[in-house]
Amino acid sequence: MIRRPMGTPMKAMLFGACLAFAGTASAAAAHPDFSGNWERYPRPGEKADPRYAPTPIPNPQLKPQYRAEWAAGQKILAERLSESQPPGDNYVHCIPDGMPAMMMGMFPMEVMQRPEQINITQEAFNQTRRIYMNQKLPKWDEVDPSFYGNSVGHWEGDTLVIETTGIKQNVRFRWTPHSEAMKITERIRLLAPDILQDQISVEDDYLEKPWTYSYSFKRMKDYKIQEYICEDNREYVDQNGKVHLKIKD
Amino acid sequence: MRLGYGVRLVMLSCAAAIPALAAYAHHSFAMFDNTRSITVHGKVISYQWTNPHVYLEIDAEDGKGATRHFTMEMTAPSMLHRGGWTSRTVKPGDVVTAVVSPLRDGQPGGLLLELTLPGGKKMLPGVPNAERYKITS
Repeated sequence: MIRRPMGTPMKAMLFGACLAFAGTASAAAAHPDFSGNWERYPRPGEKADPRYAPTPIPNPQLKPQYRAEWAAGQKILAERLSESQPPGDNYVHCIPDGMPAMMMGMFPMEVMQRPEQINITQEAFNQTRRIYMNQKLPKWDEVDPSFYGNSVGHWEGDTLVIETTGIKQNVRFRWTPHSEAMKITERIRLLAPDILQDQISVEDDYLEKPWTYSYSFKRMKDYKIQEYICEDNREYVDQNGKVHLKIKD
Repeated sequence: MRLGYGVRLVMLSCAAAIPALAAYAHHSFAMFDNTRSITVHGKVISYQWTNPHVYLEIDAEDGKGATRHFTMEMTAPSMLHRGGWTSRTVKPGDVVTAVVSPLRDGQPGGLLLELTLPGGKKMLPGVPNAERYKITS
């Protein structure tokens, strides 16, 4: 889809081309374009318009055999948060979130959309996931587990449906254990021209029922994504889990 | 003033977001003593615009004619950028005044809470939950 402003002759040519390929053009035009920069909505402290508010994130309904591990993790997590310690160890070690945590939108994110591929880049840690359109989702045991997994997408009307599998077991959202077979299904659509919603559903053999929640994002019109290289991490965790700062002489 | 106001807005919004802390807490600020602050004044040695944190190093005057090297951690470039800071807001040789939440372990360093530039302009670095850091100096 061409979005740049064009001169009249170019428009006329394009119009002709569209007439010539009316079927293809109308099919392409049917999909909304999510390209651009987005930030989490509402921002911290901002009151959300109820029409666009994200749904709260419930606790995962884990099967009994995984609950003890989860509860132990939540206890540590709660203690750390009460002390303003970081919730996870990843960032302190300069390691990115991975999926599905990266969709929480720590910093702004950029969507680049082509008919055959959609990339989503989260500014924090330069995290980029690549969604291949109209391809078959590989089986989890046919791919090497990774941070962002393997993602395929297709359109259902105005909604982009993305399926993801192949997430490393140590890549966890809210310290929730999962199997390598975990599958994440996202339904992304525009609620308004400048509001994007991502409905997330996590299915896994570790869960009694899918773990579902949503995020909302607001368009950032004039923003340009900054580079993020974890270049000089002076923080480190000691044996007791406390974070310290290395001071340079 | 426009920039300062923008930063204050960011701070206010972070302050009101305690339930959202899990989503927004980035690195640990627990190593800083948030019950008190110290004010340091001196010459900038380096201003390092890096992730995961920006660092400002100054030779702080001790009031007796000597200096002590002091390291200040700041937030990330992304947050600072949105709050009006750039990699050129401060430069080596600038004489600045910084209000800092000091390191608990006694090392000469801390978390930057407020910086006064040579021209007198005050800059806020957008510390999450800034209201939790007492300014006593």
